Amino acid sequence: MSDFGVPSPDPTAIGDTSTPPFARLPDPETLFARRADRFRTLAKGADLGPYLDFLGRLCDVQDAVQDGLPDVPPPPPEVIARAKAHAMPPIDRTAAVADESFMAIFDRLVARAREVDMPDAARAALARVADADATARVAMAEAVVANRIPVEALAEHVFAAAAVQVHFARLAAALDATRLVPVGEGACPACGGPPVSSMVVGWPGAHGNRFCVCSTCRTAWNHVRVKCCLCGETKGISYREIEGGDGVVKAEVCEACAAQVKILYQVKDPDLDPVADDVATLALDIKMRDEGIRRGGVDPFLIGW
Amino acid sequence: MNMDLSRRAFLRTAGAGLAGTSLGALGFGEVEEAHAAAIRPFKLAATTETRNTCTYCSVACGILLYSKGSLAKGEKAEIIHVEGDPDHPTNRGTLCPKGAALLDMVRAETRLQSPRIRKAGSDKFERISWDEALDRVVRHMKADRDANFVAKNKDGVTVNRWTTTGFLAASATTNETAFATYKVVRSAGILVFDNQARV
Repeated sequence: MSDFGVPSPDPTAIGDTSTPPFARLPDPETLFARRADRFRTLAKGADLGPYLDFLGRLCDVQDAVQDGLPDVPPPPPEVIARAKAHAMPPIDRTAAVADESFMAIFDRLVARAREVDMPDAARAALARVADADATARVAMAEAVVANRIPVEALAEHVFAAAAVQVHFARLAAALDATRLVPVGEGACPACGGPPVSSMVVGWPGAHGNRFCVCSTCRTAWNHVRVKCCLCGETKGISYREIEGGDGVVKAEVCEACAAQVKILYQVKDPDLDPVADDVATLALDIKMRDEGIRRGGVDPFLIGW
Repeated sequence: MNMDLSRRAFLRTAGAGLAGTSLGALGFGEVEEAHAAAIRPFKLAATTETRNTCTYCSVACGILLYSKGSLAKGEKAEIIHVEGDPDHPTNRGTLCPKGAALLDMVRAETRLQSPRIRKAGSDKFERISWDEALDRVVRHMKADRDANFVAKNKDGVTVNRWTTTGFLAASATTNETAFATYKVVRSAGILVFDNQARV
């Protein structure tokens, strides 16, 4: 009580001053379990319910395959230093999927996914993945990381992508976020992957800042607001939402790219998930495509839109 | 990436018997079609977020103006929300109470939109033209400066000060404008002066 009426030391600090970190690494131990929960919540009463439910169960598998896996060692210091010197991501996308530890995750994921309830088409694709040899599986994973998934085998690659996501999230989690540097517009500073969507977050110390989320490793990196996530253009940016919406998920449209990447206002709804809510708002992608704006966010769960 | 997408778009338009989306390929094609049909009646609403500078003081805080309606489409745009720009180095997302109330100023019916004058003895403001307003301001400033300019202080030292007129200038100009404003105002001897070049 004796302090009553005494001026506070810094009267200029009004509100939550933003000092956002450049990058925030994923936590694979909670990431997929939370996403599974979010998918289940979104599935209730939605037109896309069956699909969201299926993805929720796939996320459960992504979470479960990590049980008992050995810890991922961080990359050697010289790799980190070289990546930093050349503004390159420290994770080598192609080399990472040729790794033994990735194969272990892929095997476990294929085995566990069999227990998931899914349509016949998906089950047949899963069987083809299970029958594929190591070379074919690496080829699938390479297509996923190169973002060149062949249209003839989309379903198989969804399972491959699920395994790649687990592996990359674990690799990224072993990095030191403070040593990551920007590697270019629309590229993840940890693995070089394209963004799936972006979020305006309400984290302490980063209130109202926007982070792009990597489609491969789920690292979030700070990206200035009102700026295209793909090309970095700041002119001609506008937003679209379904009329009558609550402004929680919008499409950020760049005139220069004629593309849109979703922006999730997590600051308004902390439950938003950069992947689950992106899939659940497919309506926005459909409507945007009708206007001639392509989907810029990369997500193996939404290929073709 | 783009090449890949256009190839898929081609396959779809060409009517190839392939499932062109993840949903279709995984056996959720019917769900996808039903959803696409269900959302057909809905429309898209356009909104924008625009960077700007708070008009209130020389600190020049960055703000984000949210508006509804696309000017590009010939619609009327309306500001619906104002918040501190979290990316702006000056205020990093914060706003003072005046800045936080900007939306009310933008929408206020009593907002000053043209020069007005309340003549001596009158009880109401009248609208005047910019030319007239600037002429009057100049004339009053000149009269005030002639009457109150202090060339030397009581010790006889040259001070050239003009303290009876204040000058409040812009917060969102270029460096060159700020420099020129500073030179003009200070050269006239005005001490009561604020613009962004102060900070």
